[in-house]
Amino acid sequence: MRFIFIDEILDLQPGKSILAAKTIGSGEELFRDHFPGFEVVPGVLLTEMMAQAAGKCLDAERKPRGKAMLARINSASFRAWVTPDQRALICAKIVSNQPTYATARCHVEVEALKVCTADLLFAFLPMARLAPGYVDEVLEAYLKRPK
Amino acid sequence: MRRFNTTEDALKWLADVFQESPENIRPETPRERVEGWDSLGMLDLMARLDEECNIILSEEHLSELKKIDDILNILRMHGCLNSTSLKSA
Repeated sequence: MRFIFIDEILDLQPGKSILAAKTIGSGEELFRDHFPGFEVVPGVLLTEMMAQAAGKCLDAERKPRGKAMLARINSASFRAWVTPDQRALICAKIVSNQPTYATARCHVEVEALKVCTADLLFAFLPMARLAPGYVDEVLEAYLKRPK
Repeated sequence: MRRFNTTEDALKWLADVFQESPENIRPETPRERVEGWDSLGMLDLMARLDEECNIILSEEHLSELKKIDDILNILRMHGCLNSTSLKSA
């Protein structure tokens, strides 16, 4: 499994808000352990979906401060189970957007039910720290889509 | 916008920001004695001052923060804290 927890971006206002989607299929090996007979998407992966969505929203601004990196998870709540093959819609709204940090209020919905929420804090990593030629393939696919 | 009625209230809030026990956070406490006041703690402080108090810390302010009272003074400067003394003082 790759560590990409956004399948596609559905709507994006760079630096302001994002709506994205992710489905974790029942064939994924993690469900052998989480949990036998009661397969649910782990809360840490739902949190990662929110972090990746909000990060892409910030990165889409292409500011010289660098790539958004999750620095803190504040007040995360998990309200309902997400089962394999359910399509999760990830919503993130950027609350504060400064040169050295940003905060986002995020939630995940499944079948119109809000299943988790979190407030996230981001710091920024200089792009030079990443591999040369690195691109966020999900973000690039959205930005290059036919309009 | 968040306003603190007493210095004690502001100290409790700072203890929460730095994830410290409230008794460890006093006006005279220097930065190096606050474990949670590291680079991440500073980001947290900046984000919470911004979101809850509408205070954007400048680079100049950041370099001046050496002890808890320096943060209290920023709160006072922006009208978020009127009290200048502790109840017990």
